[in-house]
Amino acid sequence: MAELVLAAATPHNPLLWRAMNDPVPDDLQPIAANFARIREAVAAHEVDVLVVIGTDHVRQFFYDNSPAFVVGKAESYHGTWENEVRTFGMEYVELAGHRELADEITGRTVLPETIDLAVSLEWRLDHSYVIPLQYVRPELDLPVVPIHTNASMPPVPSVRRFVALGEHLRDAIERWDSDARVAILTSGHMANDVGGPRTFAGSPDPDFDEAAASWMRDGDLEGAIRVCSDFQRLLEAGCMTYQYLNAVAALAAMGGRPADFAEVTPSRFASSPFFLWGSR
Amino acid sequence: MSKYIVDKFIRAVELSDAAVAAYVADPGGVVDAWLAGGGGPTGPSDDRQLTPAERDAFAARDFEALYALGAHPYLLWHFTEAVYEHEYTPDSGWRELVERYRAAVAPQGIVDYIP
Repeated sequence: MAELVLAAATPHNPLLWRAMNDPVPDDLQPIAANFARIREAVAAHEVDVLVVIGTDHVRQFFYDNSPAFVVGKAESYHGTWENEVRTFGMEYVELAGHRELADEITGRTVLPETIDLAVSLEWRLDHSYVIPLQYVRPELDLPVVPIHTNASMPPVPSVRRFVALGEHLRDAIERWDSDARVAILTSGHMANDVGGPRTFAGSPDPDFDEAAASWMRDGDLEGAIRVCSDFQRLLEAGCMTYQYLNAVAALAAMGGRPADFAEVTPSRFASSPFFLWGSR
Repeated sequence: MSKYIVDKFIRAVELSDAAVAAYVADPGGVVDAWLAGGGGPTGPSDDRQLTPAERDAFAARDFEALYALGAHPYLLWHFTEAVYEHEYTPDSGWRELVERYRAAVAPQGIVDYIP
């Protein structure tokens, strides 16, 4: 059976792409170091396939058609968009998909009882997928199963659905008749308010950040569920803060155990999550 | 209440370099031309209607007004960046635009942007 060998949560802040160019400025050194830590862990765990959980930023999905969760079932993916190349200086990339694992997650005989998954067979991945991959696996040589969680266009799915997603992913991976070593790479934010009243002014809600870091550090899934069940509370922490729940999906996938590494790194933009669960 | 169409126009401009260039050259003309378009007989329903206040806010590149009218904050910031960055100078660039934007929206607090 396949094995879930690692899960990680990173930021996907696309402003880092220009700002962290060589030489990395002093204030961003800790972020570069934490990306390197996760990059080294993925290499050390000899990962074969990456399930990449992110949130499309109103590029692929819009209010004409806004699913809660989408699993990519394409054979390959184009990465990034014209506006992201212009605004963030990102580079177009090509990524291989992994249909076999995608079918284990949501195939014709897979009927999960706790979550409903939509699918996409034609999907251009935005920075939420491309940026973490470029820092964590710059070779871009591992096949991916991308998963979109709607954390950007309210109404959003509840935190319990994110937990169900993580638990379902673990079940699907462990049920898969394969010797593949699978990792879950999620990305999102701590408190984050891009476009809101506290745009790019440091963390908009340090209290939330502190609690949200402790849920990962202590393996406190119930604590995360209790606070994140209140959408208004997360909105008050910033209009894009709900993307933190992608890390909650990773925590649930790892059985709610404390992260082996949990650090929230301050930066000039906001605070950046780095959480890692390994098996080596 | 046309928040959906406000967001749709923002997206129609911001996603494309050519659309940004056209809009920057003639904001009012582009918004009026876009409003006159439609899905046609083979497309889904596509009633592009903005209130006069929304239309005028786009014609004036007025991010303060668009925020008040309920534009999606994330979309609005990147739209603002796209349609003002050609005006950056050595003394007033990205950071100054962020400050102007934040000063315009902060007094308004959290606006209901859900269409």
